[in-house]
Amino acid sequence: MDVLRNQQWLLPVGTFLPLAGVLVMMFVPKTKELLHKQIALLTMLATVVIGIFTAGYYAYGNASGKLQFFIDTEWIPVIHSRFTVGLDGLSLPLYLLSMVVTLLVMVYSWDHVPAPGNPKMFLILMLVLQTGMAGTFIAQDLILFFVFFELVLLPMYFMIGVWGGEQRQYASLKFFLYTMFGSALMLVSFLALFWQVQQRHPDAVFSIPYLIQHGGELPRAVQIWIFSGMFIGFAVKVPMFPFHTWLPDAHTQAPTQGSVILAAILLKLGTYGFIRIAIPILPRAAIAWSPWIGGLAVVGIIYGALGCLAQTDMKRLIAFSSVAHMGFVMLGIATLTPLGINAAVFGMVAHGLITGMLFFIAGSAKDRYHTLEIKRLGGMLKQMPKLGWILGFCAMASLGLPGLAGFWGEFPAIVSAYNPFSGNSIYPDGVNHNTFRVYMVIAAVGTVLAAGYLLWLFQRVAFGEPKDEFANHGHAMDGHGGLAHSVGAAANDEHHSDIQDVKLTEWIAWTPFLLAIVVFGIYPNLLFKIIDPASQVALKAFGG
Amino acid sequence: MLSSLLGAAGEFVRPRIDYHALAPELILAAGICVVLMVDLFVSEAKRWITATLSGLFLIGSAIPVVTLAVIGDDTRSMFDGRYVIDQFSLIMKAMFLVIGYVVVLLSTNEVEEGGYHQGEYYVLLLSAVLGMIMMTSARDLVSVFVAFEFLSIPTYMLAAWRKRDAKSNEAGVKYFLLGVFASAVMLYGMSLLYGVTSSTRLTDIGAYLADHDTTAVIALAIVFIVVGFGFKVSAVPFHSWAPDTYEGAPTPVTAFLSVASKAGGFTALVSMVYLCFPSAKDVWQPFMFVLAALTMTAGNVLALRQTNIVRMLAYSSISQGGFILMPFVVAGTKAAETSLKTIVVYLLVYASTNLGVFAVVIAVTRKTRSGLITSMGGMLTYAPGLTALMTFFLASLAGIPPFGGWFAKVNAFRAVLEAGTGLGYAIAIIGAVNTVIAFGYYGNLMREMWMKPAPDGDNTPVRTPPSLLAAMGITGAATLVLGILPQLVLRFGDLNDLVHTAAGK
Amino acid sequence: MLGAAETGWFLEHAYLIPIIPAVAFALILFFGKRMPMKGSEFGVASMAASLVLAAGTAYQWIQRVDFFAGGEHVGALAGFGRAFGLREEGSAGFVEPVVRKVVWWQSGGVEIGLGQHIDGLAVMALLLVAFISTLVQIYSLEYLRGDRRYTHFFAALTLFSAGMLAMVLAENMVQLILGWEIMGLCSFMLIGHWWEEEANAFAALKAFWTVRVGDIGLMVGTGIVFFGASAYAKSLNNGSSGFSIAAINEWALNGTHSHAILLWGSVALFIACIGKSGQFPLHTWLPDAMAGPTPVSSLLHSSTMVVAGVFLVARLYPLFHTGLDINVAGQHFNLIAVIGGITIIIAAALAFVQNDIKKVLAYSTVSQLGYMMMGLGVGAWTPAVFHIFTHAFFKCCLFLCAGSVSHSGSHHSFDMKQDMGGLAKKMPITTACWIVSTAALCGVPLFSGFFSKDEIIDNAHHNGYTVFFIIGLIGVFMTTAYMTRATYLTFFGKARGAAAGEHHDEHAEAVVHADPHLAAQDEHALDDAHDAHAGPHESPALITVPLIILAVLAFASGFLNAAAFKIEKFTEWVQPALDGIHFPELHSAEFKWANSIPSILLLLAGFVVSLGVCVAIYGEKANPVRGLTDRVAPLRWGHTFLVNKYYLDFLYEKIIARGIAHPISKAIYWTNQNVLDRVVNEAGIGARLFGNWVYRNIDQRVVDGAVDGAGAAARGSGGALQPVQSGKVNQYGALLFGFAAVGALVLVIVNF
Repeated sequence: MDVLRNQQWLLPVGTFLPLAGVLVMMFVPKTKELLHKQIALLTMLATVVIGIFTAGYYAYGNASGKLQFFIDTEWIPVIHSRFTVGLDGLSLPLYLLSMVVTLLVMVYSWDHVPAPGNPKMFLILMLVLQTGMAGTFIAQDLILFFVFFELVLLPMYFMIGVWGGEQRQYASLKFFLYTMFGSALMLVSFLALFWQVQQRHPDAVFSIPYLIQHGGELPRAVQIWIFSGMFIGFAVKVPMFPFHTWLPDAHTQAPTQGSVILAAILLKLGTYGFIRIAIPILPRAAIAWSPWIGGLAVVGIIYGALGCLAQTDMKRLIAFSSVAHMGFVMLGIATLTPLGINAAVFGMVAHGLITGMLFFIAGSAKDRYHTLEIKRLGGMLKQMPKLGWILGFCAMASLGLPGLAGFWGEFPAIVSAYNPFSGNSIYPDGVNHNTFRVYMVIAAVGTVLAAGYLLWLFQRVAFGEPKDEFANHGHAMDGHGGLAHSVGAAANDEHHSDIQDVKLTEWIAWTPFLLAIVVFGIYPNLLFKIIDPASQVALKAFGG
Repeated sequence: MLSSLLGAAGEFVRPRIDYHALAPELILAAGICVVLMVDLFVSEAKRWITATLSGLFLIGSAIPVVTLAVIGDDTRSMFDGRYVIDQFSLIMKAMFLVIGYVVVLLSTNEVEEGGYHQGEYYVLLLSAVLGMIMMTSARDLVSVFVAFEFLSIPTYMLAAWRKRDAKSNEAGVKYFLLGVFASAVMLYGMSLLYGVTSSTRLTDIGAYLADHDTTAVIALAIVFIVVGFGFKVSAVPFHSWAPDTYEGAPTPVTAFLSVASKAGGFTALVSMVYLCFPSAKDVWQPFMFVLAALTMTAGNVLALRQTNIVRMLAYSSISQGGFILMPFVVAGTKAAETSLKTIVVYLLVYASTNLGVFAVVIAVTRKTRSGLITSMGGMLTYAPGLTALMTFFLASLAGIPPFGGWFAKVNAFRAVLEAGTGLGYAIAIIGAVNTVIAFGYYGNLMREMWMKPAPDGDNTPVRTPPSLLAAMGITGAATLVLGILPQLVLRFGDLNDLVHTAAGK
Repeated sequence: MLGAAETGWFLEHAYLIPIIPAVAFALILFFGKRMPMKGSEFGVASMAASLVLAAGTAYQWIQRVDFFAGGEHVGALAGFGRAFGLREEGSAGFVEPVVRKVVWWQSGGVEIGLGQHIDGLAVMALLLVAFISTLVQIYSLEYLRGDRRYTHFFAALTLFSAGMLAMVLAENMVQLILGWEIMGLCSFMLIGHWWEEEANAFAALKAFWTVRVGDIGLMVGTGIVFFGASAYAKSLNNGSSGFSIAAINEWALNGTHSHAILLWGSVALFIACIGKSGQFPLHTWLPDAMAGPTPVSSLLHSSTMVVAGVFLVARLYPLFHTGLDINVAGQHFNLIAVIGGITIIIAAALAFVQNDIKKVLAYSTVSQLGYMMMGLGVGAWTPAVFHIFTHAFFKCCLFLCAGSVSHSGSHHSFDMKQDMGGLAKKMPITTACWIVSTAALCGVPLFSGFFSKDEIIDNAHHNGYTVFFIIGLIGVFMTTAYMTRATYLTFFGKARGAAAGEHHDEHAEAVVHADPHLAAQDEHALDDAHDAHAGPHESPALITVPLIILAVLAFASGFLNAAAFKIEKFTEWVQPALDGIHFPELHSAEFKWANSIPSILLLLAGFVVSLGVCVAIYGEKANPVRGLTDRVAPLRWGHTFLVNKYYLDFLYEKIIARGIAHPISKAIYWTNQNVLDRVVNEAGIGARLFGNWVYRNIDQRVVDGAVDGAGAAARGSGGALQPVQSGKVNQYGALLFGFAAVGALVLVIVNF
């Protein structure tokens, strides 16, 4: 695997810069809350600037298939693990996404620090989280990958557990144990893989490019066993169908910021792991596993959608929708074709933006209504037209409307399922087409269900007249509509008096999301032309 | 007959003694005497000076260790190979001395405020450490046993140090009684071994076992010896003393027991297993497997339900012991070298982390005056720094990057997988599952600190005395460095030679 | 670059036609509220602009056709040579479509363009859509004046047209889907325009969901066709992919494929068309869509949205033609024709029992779409497309008439029985336009509908699809009958309710009920409304002018393709070369007046019978026919059956939708919480319990009990030596040695 080495400093700096902010904040007394917010925000701004430089120096075109800003220095020779980092088309979008999302979440936190306050710890955790996420995307060494992969656990654990909802402690512990269980097996399979390769090549290292070169030599049975370990590790993180039960609780209980980061970035670590590690290194196992992955994926699509229809709580509904959406991503991955993988990566970004945005909306709605019980909501378009329309916009994006980002994750994934990897000179044993054609239809049905629950949610929350308990506290949307309400608004008790439309910080935090959803939707090539060469390389074994 | 005696005496040749190599032991021995003397002559008010002195002597005896390491010439062996200074022993010596120093730091306030007999306390502490650093070099059944007793007996007394506290007494008594039994068993095993091989030098025994196939007697001997050390490292089912003793003993002593004496036990076990038994692996490998599996599992499962911090930590350290036992399962295979390194790494990480945990516990209990886990509630509000530090240590114990523990565990897994034996894979899976279970109680403690309010609603910040801060600094730094750049520590201490001798070269 | 006569600026830049309204949409969205006319000006202007462009495109296309036909329009220097050249490479009479595209995205070796595929069909549709949209927007200026979401309305309306236009000139399937779905979105927004009313919101959801169900087919079908055609498309190496429409069509005809792929692909795609074009059995959303403002209904039902399905079939006709074996000897049925036929009848039947004038028109639309589908199904491509063309004018006109009636005649009510009747005198212009369009719809000779619909029927006969020939004829009869009924109820007979200018209280409620957007206005506006509508009167010019224009076209547009008078311009311009390479060889019937006699007779019959019945039932004096459906059981049953729309809605909403939304999803969720999640929690709890158990029963009691005793004793006597005398210690020693011995024994046995 050939690599580009210019401007190497960018990656480490971009990844570890947040820790510098943490260092500073540690020595600032926690009573200086404003100062903390400023420091954290500045740190993230600087990080994003670095990210922009990275994007600037990044070599696009076919070079996008190479690892860029490549560093490979000694780290822990004892276990043949090196500090190997690099960026290619698969990781660049997610790497930048993580930075931007974290920054915007910080902006949002400016006046949305959840109870019980203590912004110092909150922001510190967020910065550490950022380092972990960015690191996972640049790591090109299995051990390094594992370290970063694990690094995100604790901050998220505390974020959910300390600043979360009612059952936060249960949810956080579940999240942690579940993920840890997965990553323990993942680690074991990493080591097993390494040892197997080392038997054939005594000079083996944990570097991913190296293992991609030599992993394919392993016998099929061995590959399948090792893959199964990785599968569980990543599938828990994604989460795929049978391993998803931590997600609704974690998402629902987490503070808004936590949910956004979870949805936008953390879930992607799993899918990214599949694309970056499991499939390229163990191609034959991937072929053997793909029908099962695809099957679980479509089950997840339908299952998640039906789960959504059963929800009575807005946030939990959105949480469940993630299961369905990640199903599409996994379906794309399971096809083992560049078309599918590109769709998957695009789907990751799109889902990150859209679902993240939906969680923002849910959070802000909660701030105003103090409940997210769908039965009690209604007429949001009357009281908070802007918030309501944004909700509608995101719902449309989420159900895969062409012209918005969501579509480019779903549609190509579905299309690609018609024609998955069907054997080649290297790996004659291909993937059964008919199975996947059935998956294709099921997935397409899933899009209808998606329209079902999302619009149903939108209709119940945004349409109609506001319920009585909130009715008298809306702010008029315009002369005609609001008149009746503004009359009542005079005599409002303090409890619901805070029902107001989108606030400034919310605008600042959200606008980039909304823009990105539209831009990527209208000109998907922005992402595809970055992803495509990389996925071609990743699937070289499959003649991609 | 008399002449024969004389003759024997006549043949006595004065052994060549490498004083540089012996310097650590000598300095420490001197330290013991000095502290004893000083203790006699200073007034009660000035007794704190003994603490300072012992600290100094520990550092002092670390100096020759460093110089030896720097010179780094090949192994120095004395008394025809019965007492060896190699890189293994050096790194272990260094570790024990640092542990001793940290424990002194932990003890300072505790012992002073507790109004215990400071002088004696430190003397005993130093003698235990002396025993340990001797253990690292002992390559002979006799010297192993002597060192073993030397590091044990003082700890019996330390465990019972809080005289007026029945619990402490029980701790001491129990520890003492079981210790004696264990020694008996071990000694029995050793005598059997001597009887068969007619040599006490480990390498000779190893050579003998390599040539002859293992008989029932040898099997018996090996088992008894392993059982003896198994007691010391509180391997299940020989662990039962640990929780009570830990709970009863003064916390600094507990820290010392849970780290130092356990490590001492492992050191002995290493020299026995790698020098004596390698060829008889089909005897002890399954045995080790059972021990390791039982220890890590039982320790975890039992720790889950503890309500007392120290008891919880006791069981946690038991299960950690199980992880240290894991590499022994593959000690006799081609992964021998890896597994030995693994053990050393694990001991280093474990020592620094666990001492750190105890440091924090001591600091907090100074405020809460309670041993209950629930008493840690609300720490995030009144002691964020300690909370963060404690979280680091717990994370390290749970094996979460980037704190030392993960590296130790990864290493251990790697060793057993590299061996590629069935037992190896099995223990790896068990270990993986256990890492998850372990987080059950570590996470529970974190939850208390982070997510629960203070039980008595008292949020006055904690005052941490400087000595404790120093201890936390040392341990915290060690934990972090071992996690992020383990190579820094592992650079010295390349352990080939011991393995080569083990391989009979 | 080609010569002036052959191509031109407008042809080359047709892609601007959808872009302009799309931009206008953005402008309205961001600046609309601040504009003097609340953003409507953007909408109207943009539509006018695209109309101009479309007209230009059409003109140049006609030139191009004539050029290729070697007609006299060819410029002297435009070059015979090239003409020859083209003759050689292209086939006889084949007019190269103007295809341009830019790379939109590429992925996995696939390159998807964004561009235009301009041929006769596209040009026709572009012109049509732009024209109708413009008129509707002008009409809306007046019709929605003072509406709360005036700006939103125009934004949606404009984007809607943009979507349709984008779909019409789509170069590839993905772009087509884009336009298709944008329309879906806008229909959702427009139908649910007055979402305060639960019913409207629900109608909007229903429309979106139903269409979405069809879209399953669209996605799957596109996928199938894509992989089927991509090999061929690559071989063309003109940058077209398996999504490109031209490529798909040629691939479908060149016979280098397995028939199965074509079959599955076309079936899947046709499902999408069923959903979009409101064909049986997915037609149920269409009448509910009347919840939207009238201009929306007219736009949706005349030229956009619902014809999208028909358009797709026409667009990919070679695919369907081959895939479904149309015009294959011995094949008397095919999916398209069957669905179309069924739709004609059932929809027409439903039109009889509607009281809401707009619903009558809605079902009439459904049934007319059935005609188009059937036409395509029986191989009458050109007539079907021509029917799209003519139908757009008269149906749009009819809807706008209905709107005009409710706006100025019936006081915002659409109920023919309650609030209409005898409006002919009060609203002459509206009435006239209505009647003209009705005549066109029924297919009265010389009116446009006659030239399109009868061609379809005629060709069904000619191509040997007898069954559908008969269905078509029945359809004619029914169409005339229900339109006569509607006309009579609305404009003739005695005035009722609002039409009679009544203003009693329950009627006021009826108003509120019938028209939420008025109800939503504040008191002041309501008063205005009452003043303004003091009794029925003719609508203002902004409404009537579009009506007149449309009525004229409803009559005249037929003469573009009046086979009766040997005028076949439409065919010449729109119909592709039937060369079997770019388009299947179709054989259209020679027009004979004789063939059209049956339909004309049935038309008259329908008119007479229906008129008679109407007079009898709704007329002044009592009559035995009145209330027949209540007295005669079979009739009553039939009536209720119709009133309940064949219980299809019941099936969809109450059984399927509710079934999925409640029992099934609940069950799934229950499983999730009580099975999957349970396992996890149990595992956690289990470990803890196991810990407790081991600790209590083994760790403490067996192993430890002994020595605890020792400790207790020590506590008791204070002496540390005491336990040594207490016998329990031996017990422990035994224990330790026991463990050791057992271990040893095991090993000894294992080893030897």
